[in-house]
Amino acid sequence: MRSLFALLLLPFAFAAKDPQQQLVDLSTAGNGVIKLDATTFDLLTSPKRTWSAAIQLTALDKRRRCTPCMEFDPSWNMVAKSWTSVPKEQRNTHFFATLDFDDAPTVFQKLGLSSAPIVYVYPPAEGPRQPANGKTAPSKYDFSTGFEPGPLAEHISKHTPIPVPYKDPIDWARWASMAVGGLGLLFVLRFISPILTNRWTWAVGTVVTSLIMTSGYMFTRIRNSPYSGGGGNWIAAGYQNQFGQEVQVVAFIYGLLAFSFLMLIMIVPYQSSPYRQRMQVYLWTGVIMIIYSILVSLFRVKNRGYPFKLFL
Amino acid sequence: MTTAYPLPSNLSPATVANTASLLRIVALALISGAAIASRLFAVINFESIIHEFDPWFNYRATRVLASQGFYEFWNWFDPTAWYPLGRVVGGTVYPGLMATSGVIYNFLHALNLPVDIRNVCVLLAPGFSALTAWATYMFTKEMKDESAGLLAAAFIGIVPGYISRSVAGSYDNEAIAIFLLMFTFYCWIKALKQGSALFGTIAAIFYFYMVAAWGGYVFITNMIPLHALVLILMGRFSSRLYVGYSSWYAIGTLASMQVPFVGFQPVKTSEHMGALAVFGLLQIVAFGQLVRSHVSSAQFQKLLYASVVATGILGTAVFGLLTYKGWIAPWTGRFYSLWDTGYAKKYIPIIASVSEHQPTAWPSFFMDLQFLIFLFPAGVILCFRELRDEHIFVIIYAVMASYFAGVMVRLMLTLTPVVCVASAVALSTLLDTYIDPKEPDTGDDTKSESEATVVSASGTNGSSFSATPTPTPSKKIKKAAAAAAAPLPTSGIISDLVAATGGPTRRGEPIKTKGIFGMDSRLIVIMHTLAMLSFFVFHCTWVTSNAYSSPSVVLASTNQDGSQHIIDDFREAYYWLRQNTPEDAVVMSWWDYGYQIAGMADRPTLVDNNTWNNTHIATVGKAMSSTEENAYPILRKHDVDYVLVIFGGLIGYSGDDINKFLWMVRIAQGVWPDEIQEPNYFTPQGEYRIDDMASQTMKNSLMYKMSYYRFAELFGGNQAMDRVRQQQVPKVGPTLDYLDEAFTSENWIVRIYQVKKEDLLGRDLKSANAFGQGKKRKRTKPVPRRRAIV
Amino acid sequence: MLSFRRIFLLIAAVTSAVSAKSSTGDSVLVVVEPSRQNDYSIFFNGLKEKGYELTFRAPKEEKPVIIQDDVPSFAHVILFASETKNFAKDITPQSLVELLSLKTNLIIALSTKQTPLSSLAAEFSIVLPPPGTPLVSYFPERSEPPSVIPIAPDSSSSILSKDIHPVWFSGVPMSLGNNPLLFPILRAPAESFAAEVDGGSADALVDSAEKGGEGLWAGSQLSVVTGFQALGGARVTWVGGVELFSDEYAKKEVSKSVESGNKKFASDIATWTFQETLVLRIDRTEHHLVNATSPKEHYTTGDEVEFAAYISKFNPKTGKWDPCACRKDIQLDFTMLDPHVRTALPPVPGAPGKYGTAFRVPDRHGVFKFVIDYKRKGWTHLHSSTTVPVVPPRHDGYPRFLSAAWPYYAGAISTSVAFLLFSALWLAGDVREMKKSKGKSE
Repeated sequence: MRSLFALLLLPFAFAAKDPQQQLVDLSTAGNGVIKLDATTFDLLTSPKRTWSAAIQLTALDKRRRCTPCMEFDPSWNMVAKSWTSVPKEQRNTHFFATLDFDDAPTVFQKLGLSSAPIVYVYPPAEGPRQPANGKTAPSKYDFSTGFEPGPLAEHISKHTPIPVPYKDPIDWARWASMAVGGLGLLFVLRFISPILTNRWTWAVGTVVTSLIMTSGYMFTRIRNSPYSGGGGNWIAAGYQNQFGQEVQVVAFIYGLLAFSFLMLIMIVPYQSSPYRQRMQVYLWTGVIMIIYSILVSLFRVKNRGYPFKLFL
Repeated sequence: MTTAYPLPSNLSPATVANTASLLRIVALALISGAAIASRLFAVINFESIIHEFDPWFNYRATRVLASQGFYEFWNWFDPTAWYPLGRVVGGTVYPGLMATSGVIYNFLHALNLPVDIRNVCVLLAPGFSALTAWATYMFTKEMKDESAGLLAAAFIGIVPGYISRSVAGSYDNEAIAIFLLMFTFYCWIKALKQGSALFGTIAAIFYFYMVAAWGGYVFITNMIPLHALVLILMGRFSSRLYVGYSSWYAIGTLASMQVPFVGFQPVKTSEHMGALAVFGLLQIVAFGQLVRSHVSSAQFQKLLYASVVATGILGTAVFGLLTYKGWIAPWTGRFYSLWDTGYAKKYIPIIASVSEHQPTAWPSFFMDLQFLIFLFPAGVILCFRELRDEHIFVIIYAVMASYFAGVMVRLMLTLTPVVCVASAVALSTLLDTYIDPKEPDTGDDTKSESEATVVSASGTNGSSFSATPTPTPSKKIKKAAAAAAAPLPTSGIISDLVAATGGPTRRGEPIKTKGIFGMDSRLIVIMHTLAMLSFFVFHCTWVTSNAYSSPSVVLASTNQDGSQHIIDDFREAYYWLRQNTPEDAVVMSWWDYGYQIAGMADRPTLVDNNTWNNTHIATVGKAMSSTEENAYPILRKHDVDYVLVIFGGLIGYSGDDINKFLWMVRIAQGVWPDEIQEPNYFTPQGEYRIDDMASQTMKNSLMYKMSYYRFAELFGGNQAMDRVRQQQVPKVGPTLDYLDEAFTSENWIVRIYQVKKEDLLGRDLKSANAFGQGKKRKRTKPVPRRRAIV
Repeated sequence: MLSFRRIFLLIAAVTSAVSAKSSTGDSVLVVVEPSRQNDYSIFFNGLKEKGYELTFRAPKEEKPVIIQDDVPSFAHVILFASETKNFAKDITPQSLVELLSLKTNLIIALSTKQTPLSSLAAEFSIVLPPPGTPLVSYFPERSEPPSVIPIAPDSSSSILSKDIHPVWFSGVPMSLGNNPLLFPILRAPAESFAAEVDGGSADALVDSAEKGGEGLWAGSQLSVVTGFQALGGARVTWVGGVELFSDEYAKKEVSKSVESGNKKFASDIATWTFQETLVLRIDRTEHHLVNATSPKEHYTTGDEVEFAAYISKFNPKTGKWDPCACRKDIQLDFTMLDPHVRTALPPVPGAPGKYGTAFRVPDRHGVFKFVIDYKRKGWTHLHSSTTVPVVPPRHDGYPRFLSAAWPYYAGAISTSVAFLLFSALWLAGDVREMKKSKGKSE
């Protein structure tokens, strides 16, 4: 259908002197996104524009090493693609464009940009859709909501004649896998039911969960703090801060201490030979002493003002 | 038989029992004393003063309650809060706290003890901490035995995780809520064990008290049904569960709906639906049991189960439909943000901006719970060993609470009790084992003797397994036990574990002999346990006195010579307001300080810590983050006379408004996205700066101007330095046209500005100022009045 | 010294049985070049007859100062020194504005020269033509030079008394900015315009006209005598040319045997400026429930509330405040952030000076204000604001029994009845019955 439409436009494309017509052709050629360079940029953002434009300024070249650009580009294209499905008359009054740094560094200099990606939305400067407050300066999209296409489409819809008809694609693969997994679980259930009904599986599960939680896992999740600080330092400075690796270490320490206490309580008394028992008592006591002092010293690293210390 | 150390043989069991109970009472008394005493650091270091923010409102409300009585309090409309909207206080507070201290106050006065209401408020939290210790004792007694109970009481008495919310002067809902929480749970466990409607009702009554006292009651509302549900799923349904739960739910829900602030939520909002669903499920299951006990045809039972399942599914579907239709309110943001942790920051910045809603890093866990934090898993394991109904409760509680505590700092409070209980169970089991004088003889002996040893052990340390009522095990329990006993992949330790796990639930099979040989292994374990306990005591004392006892109204710093230096800027400024401004002068500040201004300065405020109106807060945020010209109309419209900002740049008080500024911007942006944009407040490099490189929007914002107005002059030509941001403030500071500096406190923490009235001659104040300073005004271009003649 | 004068003035005010009084005081400072002092004797004598205490002072003199220790020394100040370039140091544009904030009234005469006063005019959003460009007009044909113009006052003005003969004027016109506090008392004739007759430069006029748009300095949108009432209540009159007050113009005939209206006009201006006429005040306001008398400290949503204001007007004849039912267009706002109720506040018939209305409190709780904000050109601005909280009904203030709630009532009653019946049956039930059932259950 679209190719047919492109064909329809083809004759115009040659004769077109009207800038808007050129842009229409460009966007059709670029499958909804105009690939800009310096000249087409000026054309698109000309002070006499009767159309609105959303421009993504990015640096997709590998050498630029702009990972956010890479992350953002697909969602940009998805939103732009969804715009191609709106009727012609509205579609031709708003354009999506992408300007790569390597195509037009001058534009970046002109706009005084030092970072990417950036999305500018240019409202129409003339014509019926000119904003009432007369502000024709481009507005910058705020990435605080992340790189998802949903909020982006929402934002751009504020400037388009009709809202951008973007819908999040349904992730069939996920649903399918979930369904399969669920069925598989049901199937496996009858075989592993003895394990499930065994209290000790649950016990281990419970303890592990609470260990992970109490060693600050949720903190790293919510603040998505890095696994480690790099350069071998895996302890985040500061009392209210921590790295991913600390979770593991601390959880392990807690677990070991709890385990040795359990040993003292549940295993040692059942030893039949006094010698073995004594050995175990000393062993576990020693373990507790040492690990506990390690834990305290670790805490002293996090909390400078802490006055107490154990053997080390 | 041989004992490790000689036992007095001429004691009658009665004497032992009496001595034990006497000792318990004395111990409890001492624990309560310790609990109260360790919370008085704040009063001793500073003075008998109400602490940080919310307590100031509670205190103010309590004064109203005490002076005008309960009905007036119920109908109290506070015109000075949220000016000019006002706040219907009676309907928007949990009155439990105020009611409690009001009752105490009147009671004392009835005894002709003229106690000041303030002291009642200040000392309420320590008093209730003693009760909490007692409640925890009762609760743990149900879990294991009295000795464990005593340990748990001692722990909860001094553990920092609970002290942090209950020092003298922190007059907040949590102060009494934790006691109510533990006691409600205790009653629930009792009701469950004995299947008594009486305890169910008591639980319901205390649940009602809890609902009236703290928004965290939802924790109970979901914990108990969850417990019941798990019991049902484990096939442990019993008439005791039915009676206990039904009586609790029916009475508790009806009672909780009497609290004005709660109203019909228990039947309308999702947080409460779980309880309702479990209630329904219980009825169905009970009916099923009844029918099965009468009818005995297999296919009928099949049909029955089918119908039960069908009803369950149907109920869920209906619930879903209702929620979808909006007849049942979905989760409120605060609770929703517990599950979807990214939710709050994106959609409700106000909730995300509160410091105590931040996630918890592991040091805070260790700080608040010290060695309990790693004893607690051991305790949970022990709960699994003898898996009675009440132990299941502890287990669920442990998992839930540790998750919540990880997500929100303030929920550490709900984790603390279960940690204390579990680790007390672990520790007391350890001590039981190693104090027990019985020497096992290397040969195998029979079950009867081991029973005897248990009894004798109970004699010495005042504990007794046989004393704790174990429920008559139903078939299912037996099955579970059997399952536990079933052979497993065996390594040495595991086999020992399995052997050990039998515990008292095992009957009939000979158990391996259990005991410790020789004194030294006993002594070393007991010694290092005692050492840990004493370390814990030192830790708690240090943390309490250093971290949790400062009433953030008065700040303390230490001079070079180590002497304490009190920074009292807040009260200085609030009293300035109280003394030098008219009664009805409206003060605008960021919402953190609303309650304090109302409480200490007694002036109307625009917004306060009860953040019920996002738009109004956003309005303040907008005024703070926009230029003077744009802010002035907002100020005038809201009749603002004074603007109050907190500025820590001079002495390095980091909790000041410039650091909170971004939240103001975000909240304002949420309402006026095209007038306030967060990126404009950063430098092009995306840094948050306040020095010369700060963005123009930042420099022109009212907040920036008010914070740094005349700040550079203070340094007499030298480079002015902001001690919090560690940045250099521009030499030429900002100028103010629409406000006048009215007051700046000693250390510049609080700065108060007066909003100018409109100009006499109807000019805008900027040009009026210019004229006043004798600047030449360029000839204004007159308006052409000539009309085109048609 | 100062207190002496005050006492003296007081005594004078009490003893002198002259007719007119100002509502703000009788001491007048006249700043005028001593040489020209006698040119305005008619005007000054007129004021004296009215009972004002005139103090004359040359612009350069230090004494008497106009503001002593932040207290104005005079109730009114007349600045006739229109050509003086530099005054004594206590007379500056800033100090004059301060005088206004201290409720002192001013009459300021301008001239074609550039003086501190003309820079002060800009603060009142009065725009003066470039220096040296007086108002000229060639109509009506007359023997006088074109810059001396007879102007017929607008008879509809509430400030001027009726049937004033045309007024001789010569001086600068003023173009008025869009400041609501500003209003023309005497407009320039339609055929008049500003021209550079005495030493002004044509191109200056041209480019200022360019700035202001074509035809700016011509026509009847220009004003020659302008009144201004500051928010504080002080009144200022700007006069384009001081000659308007001169004896010469007062005696001069506009046409045969018709003497000019200058004398009357001048005294009218003074009368208005010195707060004798068009002076109102709100004595008190009251609010209460309909058919109640004592005010409540807060009202409940949906109450019927009555509000009344007592307004009186100053009577220069007696020097007393008489209740006045003279204004018909006063409005009352009942506002929280925005006016929720805006209604007319008509005079109550039969109760002179009382303006009252009744309305229903909106169904919205909050801190409301009864606001009267009455600003009319020439009249004193009236402003009064009374704060009163509006609260929701008390917990027992709601209707007790709702017909809509009958299902719930029925449910509760039926449940309790059923419970009674059940327990009664249970207690009265047959014992064997129970046994049987037990046997069954086991």
